[in-house]
Amino acid sequence: MTNRAFRPAAPLIALVVGILLMLPLFVESTYALHMMILIFISVITGSSWNILGGYTGQYSVGHAAYFGVGAYTTMMLLQFRQVPPWYGVWAGAAAALVIALIIGSICFRLRGPYFVLASIAVAEIVRVSALNLKNITNGAEGILVTEIPPWTVGGATITDWQSKVPFYYVGLVFALVVILVSRLVRSSKLGYYFQAIREDQDAAHSLGINLTLYKNAALSISAIFTSLAGSLYAVYVGFIDPSTVLGLDLSVQILMIGIIGGVGTILGPVVGALVLVPLSEALRSNVIAQGLINSGLVREDSAVGAFLKENLAHAHVLIYGILVVIVILFMPDGVLGFVRRIAVKKAKA
Amino acid sequence: MEIFLQSLISGILIGGVYALIGIGLTIIFGVMRVINFAHGELLMLGMYATYYLFSLFHVDPFLSIFITMPLMFLFGAFLQKIVINRTLASPPQNQILLTIGLGLIMSNSVMLAFTSDYKILSTKYSSSSVRIMGISISLPLVISFAITAVITVALYWFLLKTDTGQAIRATAQDREAARLMGINVSRMSIIAFGLGSALAATAGALISPTYYIFPQVGSAFTLKAFVITVLGGMGSVVGATLGGVLIGVAESVGGVYFGSGWKEVVVFVLFLLVLLFKPSGLLGKSTT
Repeated sequence: MTNRAFRPAAPLIALVVGILLMLPLFVESTYALHMMILIFISVITGSSWNILGGYTGQYSVGHAAYFGVGAYTTMMLLQFRQVPPWYGVWAGAAAALVIALIIGSICFRLRGPYFVLASIAVAEIVRVSALNLKNITNGAEGILVTEIPPWTVGGATITDWQSKVPFYYVGLVFALVVILVSRLVRSSKLGYYFQAIREDQDAAHSLGINLTLYKNAALSISAIFTSLAGSLYAVYVGFIDPSTVLGLDLSVQILMIGIIGGVGTILGPVVGALVLVPLSEALRSNVIAQGLINSGLVREDSAVGAFLKENLAHAHVLIYGILVVIVILFMPDGVLGFVRRIAVKKAKA
Repeated sequence: MEIFLQSLISGILIGGVYALIGIGLTIIFGVMRVINFAHGELLMLGMYATYYLFSLFHVDPFLSIFITMPLMFLFGAFLQKIVINRTLASPPQNQILLTIGLGLIMSNSVMLAFTSDYKILSTKYSSSSVRIMGISISLPLVISFAITAVITVALYWFLLKTDTGQAIRATAQDREAARLMGINVSRMSIIAFGLGSALAATAGALISPTYYIFPQVGSAFTLKAFVITVLGGMGSVVGATLGGVLIGVAESVGGVYFGSGWKEVVVFVLFLLVLLFKPSGLLGKSTT
């Protein structure tokens, strides 16, 4: 296939990682760092989803459950038990693993559309439970963390979490680890089992692959990393409530990052995050309307200009929806697949 | 006992409306194998149409279904012909994302046009009730149940007795075989999606006198539609009818005994139990 031509060479990877590591030294804009952190969180969730959905073919539309369980565990420990987040994160991952195994043992008995619907149902159970167990989760009010204790190792303070830089590095490390794990899983025996299950469950089963075991393995890896993203998000933003970290909207967003870039590829979720995060931020912050006016395409005092300035920011989800529909209709293999096809056409020409 | 009876009866009544939502989804799934994630949004459009017909032209919400139903049939048929039809051969994740995208477009267009304020459609009889054997029941619920029953019977007649209905069922049973028998499969898909949209919108019209109307109201009903459809067996119209009533009762009785906050959990647990012990649904066939 065309795969080989697009596999980035080692020096290129080293260069990108190097630039990302140095970035906070040169970039002072907190907004740029904020965007990068959001992109990292999306890369982590999208890649985690991809291990289960892309490699193993189990389209979960309930990944908010693991994101939210991680976020809630970390935040509850931090706020109510004063456990610092760098311990809480691992407790969150453990909690997500337990939930994943429970959910997996229920849902993996189902296939295809039934699995999709069951994954939504269990995530909804988790959300409604968090909403109703008011004495431990604070219910719909959510949890607001005002103070994060500084991170000290042997008396030396590593960071006091006052700026965005420590969050940037945590996000970067998590994202790199997820991508690395994706790469390792894909080319390992485990990954081949996953892909065999995706291609044909019955055939895989008849060859002696334990379906339940390997589906649960994929889900466990996926859930642990999703929960890390959830914990990072929670501590970074400082506030969570059931609808933002456990809602169906979040599950859908995670799914989109996994699919839009190109499903079942290592770089797909990265591309997905790089496309969707800046896009939704740009739509939300009205830069597009301003850009159209500044570039002279639309006169500010004209009716169209006024209308755009007034409404475009409110319409960001609408435009997002339109783009999703366009991508699905015209790039059925995702952005990455589309770019590849064009490149192949050019190479032939 | 009286409380139990009361919640049982209102559960059955609202369950009739849920059945309409479920039947629409199950027909779409049966004919095209597409899970329509925008189903609740179609219902929401029906609610808004009803609201504006009432507030601008004083059309009674229950009479407005004569306008809403054909309108939404055309809208659904249009969506199928122009958009969804292109992805029928694509992998399932593309269809899921596509219908999610369509749902986002619908709910956010409505939000832009009519703001996200909650709207209440209050008629003269909105809060009136009838007493049957000492149990008082909301009048709009009784009327909407009666209308649902009529529509459901008409639908069964359509599917069982008419040529088009039989062609739709044949397509649902085996798309390839139906095509070989000379059935215009893509036309059946268009009719099926139109029918599904019309049913969802009708359900929306029927509940609009008793529910808050806002752009995001759809997603809760999408979830409910999924539960109902799977409960009954995906693709089974009788199953969806039964599933709708069952969910209505579970919600209503569960709400009384576990508190209204937990009623959704009751529904979802019921859903999972059915999935686990009879994954093909109550009336579904064992083949996938």
